[in-house]
Amino acid sequence: MQITVLAGLNSKFGELWDISPRDLVKEVFHGTLKNSNMNKNDIDVVFVGNMLAGTLGGQNHLGAFFAEELGLERPAIRVEGACCSGGLAVHSAVLGISSGIYQTALVIGVEKMTDHKPEKVAEALMGAGSDLERDAGASFPALYALIARAHMEKYGTSEEEMAAVAVKNHYHASLNSHAQFRNPISIEKVLKSPMIASPLKLLDCSPISDGASALILSSKSKALSLKKDDPGVNIVSSVVATDTLGLSERKDLTTLNAVVTASCKAYKMANIDPGDIDVAEVHDCFTIAEIIAMEDLGFFPRGQAGKAILEGKTRLGGRPVVNTSGGLKAAGHPVGATGVKQIVEIYQQLMGVSGKKQVKNAKIGLTHNVGGSGATAVIHILKRG
Amino acid sequence: MQAGILGYGIYIPKYRINISDIALAWNKNSQDLASSLRIKEKSVASADEDTVTLAYEASSLALKHAGMKPSLIESCLIGSESHPYAVNPTSTIVAEFLDVGRNYVAVDLEFACKAATTGLILTLGLIESGRIKNGLVVGADVAQAKPHDILEYTAASASAAYILGSDEKEVIAKILATSSFTSDTPDFWRRDGVKFPTHGGRFTGEPSYFTHVEGAARMLFQKTKLSPDDFDYCVFHMPNGKFPREVAKRLGFTDKQQQHSLVVDHIGNPYSASSLIGLAATLDTARPGERIFMVSYGSGAGSDGFVIQVEKAILKKRDRQTFFKDYLKNTKYITYTDYLKSGGKI
Amino acid sequence: MTISPVKIWRNQKKVRAFLGKTGRIITWTKVHVPPCSFTSQAPYVIIVVEIDKNLRFTAQLVDWEETNLKTGQTVKAILRKTRDPGLEGVIPYGIKFKPI
Repeated sequence: MQITVLAGLNSKFGELWDISPRDLVKEVFHGTLKNSNMNKNDIDVVFVGNMLAGTLGGQNHLGAFFAEELGLERPAIRVEGACCSGGLAVHSAVLGISSGIYQTALVIGVEKMTDHKPEKVAEALMGAGSDLERDAGASFPALYALIARAHMEKYGTSEEEMAAVAVKNHYHASLNSHAQFRNPISIEKVLKSPMIASPLKLLDCSPISDGASALILSSKSKALSLKKDDPGVNIVSSVVATDTLGLSERKDLTTLNAVVTASCKAYKMANIDPGDIDVAEVHDCFTIAEIIAMEDLGFFPRGQAGKAILEGKTRLGGRPVVNTSGGLKAAGHPVGATGVKQIVEIYQQLMGVSGKKQVKNAKIGLTHNVGGSGATAVIHILKRG
Repeated sequence: MQAGILGYGIYIPKYRINISDIALAWNKNSQDLASSLRIKEKSVASADEDTVTLAYEASSLALKHAGMKPSLIESCLIGSESHPYAVNPTSTIVAEFLDVGRNYVAVDLEFACKAATTGLILTLGLIESGRIKNGLVVGADVAQAKPHDILEYTAASASAAYILGSDEKEVIAKILATSSFTSDTPDFWRRDGVKFPTHGGRFTGEPSYFTHVEGAARMLFQKTKLSPDDFDYCVFHMPNGKFPREVAKRLGFTDKQQQHSLVVDHIGNPYSASSLIGLAATLDTARPGERIFMVSYGSGAGSDGFVIQVEKAILKKRDRQTFFKDYLKNTKYITYTDYLKSGGKI
Repeated sequence: MTISPVKIWRNQKKVRAFLGKTGRIITWTKVHVPPCSFTSQAPYVIIVVEIDKNLRFTAQLVDWEETNLKTGQTVKAILRKTRDPGLEGVIPYGIKFKPI
């Protein structure tokens, strides 16, 4: 695979009352374009990752919508896959360029969630679950709570270990100027926070956020023609896998099969092992999700990830360093933007421009973006050229 | 041909509320209430239960008791004061979940608390005329009462289902005779579109309950030439703990004959299911050859009387039953606020 | 979100096939903060039930005591109302479980 990341930028994530989706996207687009040293007209295609604009805002036609907004008379396609809409938009761009039909692609991930009450947003998010789950009132926290309890009963994972994920990610976010929550928290604070769906408490859950991210990808040959002296960062694997929509159809609730399948393939494509990953951005929509991700991605043996995180093995200074952005928990989770934001974060790490949260000598990075309770998984592996 | 009961089933929700807790909310003296209504507690349906779900539970148990395939049911009559729809029959929704098939006649009935006992009379007609072989009758209510109204202390939720047929070998109790005493008496009513019923206070006593229950009872004595001594048990509609005991006394029945049927002492008044659950509790321990006298009451007003004779088949089917006493275990008391929440009042 | 009466009608046979089935709880959660059509029901319990080796079901648990909230608890499928249809919609009935 020969896809190069030319540039990428994240907006601030948070409760951005004053800023419309149009303005969010314009901001990250212009910033990214500037950093890419490219002209607007060099963009061949636009992919927009978004989940809720239709349900919450009544506007589904986002490809054309943003192409117009950005003044790009180009093919534009909206991509949706619940919480991995962003990752799928990146994957779509990879497909577009790999096919040879396009040379450069603009990928945008955007979500505006705070215009509506949290209960309404929670209801809209349930669209990612199965019919049975929706009829039972199984919100996202409830689905991951069911998974959490299964993992706790099978491996003895504790609520403290889950809390440690949030603590680490808040610490990383304190070093990230664009994160939604930059306050450090303690395990005790997490354990004392209000119960959402037992055993997950408020601080085990990622927030409702607004935000946008943009990436410009190109074929290797195009990249070389633009930046002859810098090998840049390349996407060497882009893999999607699916699993059953609902939990009741899964064989084992303590693992996300789609992640295992996709990551195995991704490592193979990149010719590496899990141990070669220096830095990773994973989908910690809930703290338990990061623990399971560590195991599904092969970073730690089954049942051991909780302990490893509690011991600080994935914090800055450890290896692999996970979620330097603050993850979904602390950086925020504007659903459609997350998958794109993860690529931007790894890109910046591999380019050595991550400032206070820089992982020393980061050469190989991974992003892990999940849709629903694990129905879709998107894995990307990036390498410094 | 004489039709009778092939099987029956009842369902009472898990939750209860103490009358004293309702009284506490309204600063009423629960001792006074206890003595005037002679009632201690009532059953409360959860917010996700309604007449359909209650009727389904009782009907499944009735089918199990009767040992009958649902496709053999040829009529489904459901009587209630709380049908979920004003237009769209409860009986077809329940029949569909029971998998009755397509070959049945169905209609919803309303006559306050006696809709289902009237359903029994109608179904007997269908069977004894030869038009059908087996029919299902259900009385089910999620009884609503206005907060702070006296009815709030008695209005309860439960259901009772009876399968009637004529197969001699399977009939557990024959219905030997019936009577109906009917008039136009507005003692208790609910206008269309209004959530809670209204009643005429003391008018619900002598001119209503007592006139009609006694009327139907005496009509039945005359018709059959039988008297209270000829019966082992009696069952009367139970709007509270006082009225059924009083009417039994007036008609010449003893405490011993009535004791098994007084389900009101445990669950309150579940409207259309009241006398039918009293009958079920009586049948639960009745022996072949014994006779039961039952008179229901529905405001508006009317009473249906029944002479029922227990048959041998009742013994062989006992091991397939869930009894009234089984519903007295595993109950849970709730607070007045939870009660208001489950009734959608807050 | 109003539920289509046609969808409810089609769903009925699926519901009927599950009524009365028994199984054991393999995982559970008590939801304290629900999405908007379920706010009046909170807190409520959701379980994943194993009916047999090849069949699992996700639904609410009702009529429970705290002692029933455990993996391995036997439960039975019953008929209850599911989503709130508002004042005018067709009432959806579906599967919930109760401890036995």
